[in-house]
Amino acid sequence: MKLYEYQAKQVFEEAGIKIPKSVLIENVDELESALETVGLPCVVKSQVLSGGRGKAGLVVFTPTKEKAVAETTRLFQHDLKIKKILIEEAVNIKQEIYVAFTVDPVEATGLLMVSVEGGVDIEQLAVTQPEKIIKEPIDLRYGLMPFQASQVAYSLGLPEDVSKQLKKLFLQLYNVFKEYDAELVEINPLFVTEDMALIAGDGKLMIDDNSMYRQTKYQKQETDYRTEAEYEASLEGIPFIQFDGDIGLMCAGAGLTTTVYDLIHYEGGTVANYLEFGGPNYKKALKSMEICLKVPSKVILIVTFGTIARADVMAQGIVDAIKQLNPDRPIVTCIRGTNEKEAVETLKSAGLEPIFDTEEAVRKAIQLAKGV
Amino acid sequence: MSIFIDRDTKVCVQGITGKEGSYWTKHMMELGTNVVCGITPGKEGQEVEGLPVYNSVKNAVAKHEIDASMLFVPPKFTMDAVMEALDAGIKKIVTIADGIPLHEMVLIRQAAKEHNAIIVGGNTSGVISPKLAMMGSFPHWIDRVYKKGNIGVMTRSGSLTNEVTAMIVKAGYGVSTLIGIGGDPVPGTRFAEFLNMYENDPETKAVVIIGELGGIMEEEVAEEIAKGAFTKPLVAFLGGRTAPKGQKMGHAGAIVTGGKGSVEDKIRALNGVGALVAERPRLVGTYLEQLGVPKE
Repeated sequence: MKLYEYQAKQVFEEAGIKIPKSVLIENVDELESALETVGLPCVVKSQVLSGGRGKAGLVVFTPTKEKAVAETTRLFQHDLKIKKILIEEAVNIKQEIYVAFTVDPVEATGLLMVSVEGGVDIEQLAVTQPEKIIKEPIDLRYGLMPFQASQVAYSLGLPEDVSKQLKKLFLQLYNVFKEYDAELVEINPLFVTEDMALIAGDGKLMIDDNSMYRQTKYQKQETDYRTEAEYEASLEGIPFIQFDGDIGLMCAGAGLTTTVYDLIHYEGGTVANYLEFGGPNYKKALKSMEICLKVPSKVILIVTFGTIARADVMAQGIVDAIKQLNPDRPIVTCIRGTNEKEAVETLKSAGLEPIFDTEEAVRKAIQLAKGV
Repeated sequence: MSIFIDRDTKVCVQGITGKEGSYWTKHMMELGTNVVCGITPGKEGQEVEGLPVYNSVKNAVAKHEIDASMLFVPPKFTMDAVMEALDAGIKKIVTIADGIPLHEMVLIRQAAKEHNAIIVGGNTSGVISPKLAMMGSFPHWIDRVYKKGNIGVMTRSGSLTNEVTAMIVKAGYGVSTLIGIGGDPVPGTRFAEFLNMYENDPETKAVVIIGELGGIMEEEVAEEIAKGAFTKPLVAFLGGRTAPKGQKMGHAGAIVTGGKGSVEDKIRALNGVGALVAERPRLVGTYLEQLGVPKE
């Protein structure tokens, strides 16, 4: 789960890392009092989870009150349905540093990554001049040792006072990485101000989804989702993405669902939603179909080839769901795997015509969607 | 022949008394797997499928010779169960748990490396050598998927593996050993680390890898081929070619891997060393034929 910038910065502040003075607002009326606290010039920062906010015009520097009002008004009316905006003081910047902690899946270590050339072009730097990003492996049994933090901090050619603060920040940020079971925690840019202070200019914190059972502090809110269907799916832990095409996918297994998505596009069809009810969710056919029916699709395509996610159980779930929900659109089924003979009987007894080949099922769904 | 597991591999099952554990132990034995005992703390003295149950792996290895441990243990307890197996000296471990915390998986892989052990999983169905033996949860009786043959299969997916393997079988081939390395970002063992075993297995004539967007495991396979460490024909199927560009790992993912990880990158890397990448599951068999892989 990815946190918003304002949430990540709350976490940083609690960990002892300095952040710019800021106020979070939820409508334009709150701007005036925010400006009184923050002062001018300021930065108007949309709280959305996508990257590249600056280049997309979602983060704007505003020298005057008029400009701040205009930008805030514009952003609250944006197509992205921005709910929260962070009004932040503009910091006098001398230098921008990149700092992050993540894991190295090959070496099986944690990883501290630092570059004194931080900022928006860090990805480009990683490709063209990877030597400019220092990578320090961390044994997760012991954590980041102070000597490591020190070694890295003093190797960057920064003024001694800055290095000293940076060492402390590494240790503080590592604690966040550890305590929040982070896939990634990143400060980019970390400002070095004119008076040599370190301030987190941005914040990214991604909590490992497999650790969410013990990470209860930040939960997703209904307002974090674009549609009711997406919100309901998230409550059930069912992976779901809504698009604006014709075919609703109700498949099992992330790899298979992605492949069916690919095949639909190869064959000239379009996808209304991605829904994956395999793994631990294979008994949730009823809920899955309920969610699919909330999406304006023309046909629902069910493709499974499960092992633990037994075909007979899923087929029974689908038949029960159809009886209960009485769907208003055709359903194509391609259900294979453990106990598939029983599954086929179940589907046939409910009047469905099971298909066994995925590509055939995909073509059938496209035909139905196009009304051929 | 096969790799990792055959009829001689002596297997214990951690979590054997649970619902999944007992169900799949029965099927593992039905296929011919040499399961010798099970472990569930507090259940020593009981029997499952006629096998003795012990309180700890330590107690089990005191009574039996054990080569490998199969874990049917929930994700929260997987690290503990792996450490217990390693501590008892077991060198092959398979975990199917879906949901192992990321930082714990890093520690698990690190521990395995230090013990010179191989961990398969989590988030996988396990390992199967069709008609011989399996560690995991495969419906081995479905003949149009689990047919014995000479193709090694490695995969990051579950259901998609059945889909692709069914196509391999449809083309007239069968499987020597199928290894589900698992779908988590940090698998216990990576694609490239199994290539050597397939290279040395006389029965395996070619390898199929079933991958997807993200990570750099397919690129690592290409590097092994480029180094000459793997010389048999290789075909890949990669899901997610038309997937909308996700931003799951933000900057750091791209920085760790130096900007690699898209399906296009993977195709370029694999094609560059003579491996073929199938656009659809159906084409995997066709490409094996094109590379001249014999069916017997």
